[in-house]
Amino acid sequence: MNRQAKDISEMKCCFFDQNTTKQFIEFLMSKAKVIAPHRKGEKSFSFQETHNPEEVVLNYNRTIQPIKKFFMPPRETLLEFELNGKPKVKKPEIKIEERIFLGIHSYDMKAIRLLDFSFDRDKPEANYFLRRQKSVFIGIAYEPDEYHFAQDLGIDVYDTTGFSLFMVPAEKGFLIFEVDETGHRYLQEFGKGLPLDAELQYERPEPTKKLKMHYNRLPQIFSHVYDSPVWKKVAERCLGCGTCNLVCSTCYCFDVFDEVNLNIKEGTRERTWDSCMLNPFAQVAGGENFRPTLDSRTRHRLYRKFKYLTDYSGELHCIGCGRCSYFCPAKISLVEIINELIEDYNRQQQHAAVTVS
Amino acid sequence: MENVAREIKDLYTPVIATISLVEQLTLSEKRFWIKLPRNQKLNHHPGQFVEVSIFGFGEAPISISSSPTRAPGFELTVRRTGRLTEKMHQLGVGSQIGIRGPFGNGFDVQRFKGKDMLFIAGGIGLAPLKSLIEYTLDKRHDFNRLIILYGAKNPSEILYPQEINEWTYRDDVEMHITVDRPDAQWKGNVGVITTLIPPLELDLENTIATVVGPPVMYKFVLMALKAKRLPDVNIYMSLERRMKCGVGKCGHCQINDSYVCQEGPVYPYTRIKELKEAI
Ligand SMILES: Cc1cc2nc3c(=O)[nH]c(=O)nc-3n(C[C@H](O)[C@H](O)[C@H](O)COP(=O)(O)OP(=O)(O)OC[C@H]3O[C@@H](n4cnc5c(N)ncnc54)[C@H](O)[C@@H]3O)c2cc1C
Ligand code: SF4
Ligand code: SF4
Ligand code: FES
Repeated sequence: MNRQAKDISEMKCCFFDQNTTKQFIEFLMSKAKVIAPHRKGEKSFSFQETHNPEEVVLNYNRTIQPIKKFFMPPRETLLEFELNGKPKVKKPEIKIEERIFLGIHSYDMKAIRLLDFSFDRDKPEANYFLRRQKSVFIGIAYEPDEYHFAQDLGIDVYDTTGFSLFMVPAEKGFLIFEVDETGHRYLQEFGKGLPLDAELQYERPEPTKKLKMHYNRLPQIFSHVYDSPVWKKVAERCLGCGTCNLVCSTCYCFDVFDEVNLNIKEGTRERTWDSCMLNPFAQVAGGENFRPTLDSRTRHRLYRKFKYLTDYSGELHCIGCGRCSYFCPAKISLVEIINELIEDYNRQQQHAAVTVS
Repeated sequence: MENVAREIKDLYTPVIATISLVEQLTLSEKRFWIKLPRNQKLNHHPGQFVEVSIFGFGEAPISISSSPTRAPGFELTVRRTGRLTEKMHQLGVGSQIGIRGPFGNGFDVQRFKGKDMLFIAGGIGLAPLKSLIEYTLDKRHDFNRLIILYGAKNPSEILYPQEINEWTYRDDVEMHITVDRPDAQWKGNVGVITTLIPPLELDLENTIATVVGPPVMYKFVLMALKAKRLPDVNIYMSLERRMKCGVGKCGHCQINDSYVCQEGPVYPYTRIKELKEAI
């Protein structure tokens, strides 16, 4: 699954004008449920089922909720039970459906591959993989805005890993690249679009250089900044609202609780997204709280992205989508935190060098 | 990814088990004997736990307090502290509850063979340790000395008076109890559990210490064991954390990079030293 796809310059490609693009979306809708970015309010976007190709917005910066919501819904019923006499328990059936995810940025695709790791680890979770299994992804190139830093984390705008087709906006339409066999079949069957044989010139956006260190070295930085003063500094501004976890593409922690119907004869066991930034997250009966302060919780959130899971998967578990910073009510920027940690690390190294010499 | 998901075992559906006996142990603790359908074995290791479902009230991680050698049924000791545990205390013989598990690693009993075992339990920490104590008693020849240190707040909170009585009168078990606050009848030791450690004579290289108790206890017990010069590699601790799933997904139980429900709840002290959030 982590196979790196070849560079798009080596892929077969054709051109769709705006009208063909619409027809193609219609074609996809005839094959399966299509999920694509739509407008939500004035300035925001959201991944939704497409009912009308006109409503798909392929030029967007980021959605509020990441794609994870389709594989691990914000709220899901794990069990249904009857309380009349002997308890009877039933697991609701999870509908396995074919879905085509259209207009996905490369970092959001990477996030799914990271979630695959997390849900597979130790004990694979059927709920996630049942929803996940019949998904086809069609990627699209995007213009990084001031909050994106995926390129700084080594995720190229044109990284096609995980996609079946890849779209690159061009004048009056899109270039469509065939990434895998499924993509090839779709294009064959659709049968429209202008084949392009000539050598393609497409511009790669300038690398953003927002982080002050190469991403390969971040896990190493995190081996040295556990007791950094940066955590307290960030905590002074943080409201502990948990938004950063909820919008994060790779966060998957959850809460579980029972609900009983008004007739008190039946009930359900529900799971909802949870946030390690919330105060009671690590609190147990008797009142003991194992992560009682905002600085310890902020540290935990970041260590989960850059160290803890990384030590097992070999991958950073932040994909630089910028959602946490873009939607943070206190305007806390993840890039700034990392850069301050890097500075702190550099100071430590200098200090160590001075003490040695 | 196509067909694998269909074959993955469901993680969240409990089996329905039956309470076959209930015993009031103290004012706030009861023990429940549990039977699985068709008298199946739970197949657990000492130190593991199950997720108990009381439908309509949720799930809670509870240690298995009996030894696997006493299967097919098993025992849970539950302290009344909140919604679910309150409700469980109202249940009687024949009531049905949900069980998932066993979860966690449990004690690595193979590594303890031939050793002197030093059990150190505070309060309800005796529940998970009782599983291991019974195991060593049932396989008595596999182990050398058995030393049990148990600390309770006051005499009325002593968890398993019957078992403790039996252990006290066995001449192949060294049983030491202390209470923080004695009552008029109490004739035994008074003081926190750490006061029981200095007088012990231990064969340091061959003694395994297993420690379970409330969060505050670990640091002090550790100091006392270090003062005795017990090697770090011979110390094991079982830790409690908030838990929602038991299967390494919900994230609540994490201590730094370690999921307590997967890697724990039993940790060698050498690992705990790497986990800054542990104790
Ligand atoms: C590995 C392990 C073994 C345990 N063994 C025992 C045992 O043998 N006997 C016993 O009496 N207790 C044991 N506990 C503690 C027991 O799980 C809690 O007392 C219980 O969850 C409290 O639930 P409640 O609904 O009654 O309390 P409430 O305070 O109403 O709990 C509310 C919610 O908080 C969560 N929660 C609170 N405390 C804990 C906790 N310590 N661990 C996990 N989740 C918690 C639960 O999800 C619960 O739904 C153990 C805990 C762990 C982690
Ligand atoms: S979104 Fe911002 S304010 Fe809210 S918990 Fe996260 S960092 Fe703190
Ligand atoms: S930590 Fe922030 S930038 Fe990184 S993946 Fe999560 S939401 Fe995106
Ligand atoms: S209890 Fe859910 S991850 Fe450990």
